[in-house]
Amino acid sequence: MSGGEWGIYIVLYFWLAGFGGGAFLLALSQRDRWLERVGAWLAFLGVVVGALLLVIDLGQPLRFWHLLASFRPISVMWLGSAFLFLDGIALFILLFLREWPPLLVWVAAILTLLVVGYTGVLLTATAKPFWSASPLIPWIFLASAGTTGAAVLALFGASEGVHRAAYWLAWVEGALILLHLVWTYPSAETAVRALLSGPLAWAFWGFVAFGFGLPLWLETRKKGLWLAALLVLVGGFLLRYFVVYAGQIGYVI
Amino acid sequence: MPRSSDFAILFDASYCIGCRACQVGCKQWNDLPATETQNTGSYDPLVLSAQTWLKMSYHEGLDKQGEVYWDFTRTSCMHCSEAACVEACPTGAMNYRPGGVVTVDQDWCIGCRNCVQACPYDAVHYDEEKGVVQKCTLCHDRIANGLEPACVKACPTGALRFGTYGAMRRAARERVEALKAEGYDEANVYGLKEMGGTHVIYVLLRHPSTYGLPIEPMTQRHKVAVDWLSAGIAAATLGTLGWVIARREEVSGGES
Ligand code: SF4
Ligand code: SF4
Repeated sequence: MSGGEWGIYIVLYFWLAGFGGGAFLLALSQRDRWLERVGAWLAFLGVVVGALLLVIDLGQPLRFWHLLASFRPISVMWLGSAFLFLDGIALFILLFLREWPPLLVWVAAILTLLVVGYTGVLLTATAKPFWSASPLIPWIFLASAGTTGAAVLALFGASEGVHRAAYWLAWVEGALILLHLVWTYPSAETAVRALLSGPLAWAFWGFVAFGFGLPLWLETRKKGLWLAALLVLVGGFLLRYFVVYAGQIGYVI
Repeated sequence: MPRSSDFAILFDASYCIGCRACQVGCKQWNDLPATETQNTGSYDPLVLSAQTWLKMSYHEGLDKQGEVYWDFTRTSCMHCSEAACVEACPTGAMNYRPGGVVTVDQDWCIGCRNCVQACPYDAVHYDEEKGVVQKCTLCHDRIANGLEPACVKACPTGALRFGTYGAMRRAARERVEALKAEGYDEANVYGLKEMGGTHVIYVLLRHPSTYGLPIEPMTQRHKVAVDWLSAGIAAATLGTLGWVIARREEVSGGES
């Protein structure tokens, strides 16, 4: 870490929480017992590993309990940690139960949605223009949670429905990213330029070509669906990477 | 709103000669090490950091009459009354202290840097060695002992003044009236409304944007409300979309 920006641990956390949560929520739409369990496992791992990454990323990891000793819901960071904690518990209980009580499934689903959603709000509620000039980062992160979540489920043999959802969400995600770049350009020109032709161009165009274009192409041909799923996952990582770093360009020395 | 008995600093750009004595005074009193910089016209640090809590910034251009101006302003913590850093902090380590001063409790800060991202003045920064954040303290250690802040003490022209908020606000308004009478039509006070009213107020000769200051920065609570709303609409829209597409295919067995 140089200069204390939000770096690779945060990127990894956003990515894990995104595809784990997305997989769980999409699996629930399928009424497929096995897929639901796979989704719950992925979401649980995302939450646990993600929480560990967040703690390691702190300047004072041993003080992480200060979060639990405070009550500051106006802070997106605090509220997110609370959601993360509760979601971890709800998913843990689900994984232990043979029969899932519908109420608990609902609670876990909503908490998972809140965890995925807050990661976007965390960036938008800042003074960094590339994150905050448009309200779209939560939209992009949620759409990407859908596409990457569907991609992991595809690796575990998801049905046609999940593929379809992923396909359409990918188009929505692409459109949202384009809209975000146009929207933030006036106030975050340096960041947008860094993505298009600067130090982050590799991540941005890597995402466009391999995390978006190629998998969509494969999906329409119904060819190499495994490869498509892997590429979407890599793309989801690149997306989190360039969003997190672009927001801080010019601020951290 | 700040109380009129609160502490306040008044920065008067019309008296400032850009000598950076304040910047040096801050480093000396707070024992802040020099940062290694490169010559970009001067060796001045380019941005605030955990080691640089105050720095002057320099702005040149042409005014409406086509005259060249070269204006200086102070960049540092504004000690906001509705401080973004405080509202972003998940632990309460960043908080308001008596007199409206905003400081970080370094024994309670967990180093999450959420305050760094939230501050509209880019005034709080992460100290890698300490693992916590650092910023201007309004020299509360000096003012508690009846001294002025180090920057104010160092200023040779009277561009920086320290006193109660009520007195500083009055002085600022009087000065703007005087400047207007001298022909500076755009003279204005900055900080009376921004972020709930800041405890550092500026007298400026030109529009605040000329000095690179944020115009009507949104308070953190406002942002948080808007952004949760946006996320809620996003979750409802995209969730329904994804769910419906995934379900429909399941039910119809993928006939389409
Ligand atoms: S200027 Fe920034 S660091 Fe200072 S009180 Fe306001 S929000 Fe906090
Ligand atoms: S870095 Fe410290 S002061 Fe800043 S928000 Fe986190 S806990 Fe609060």
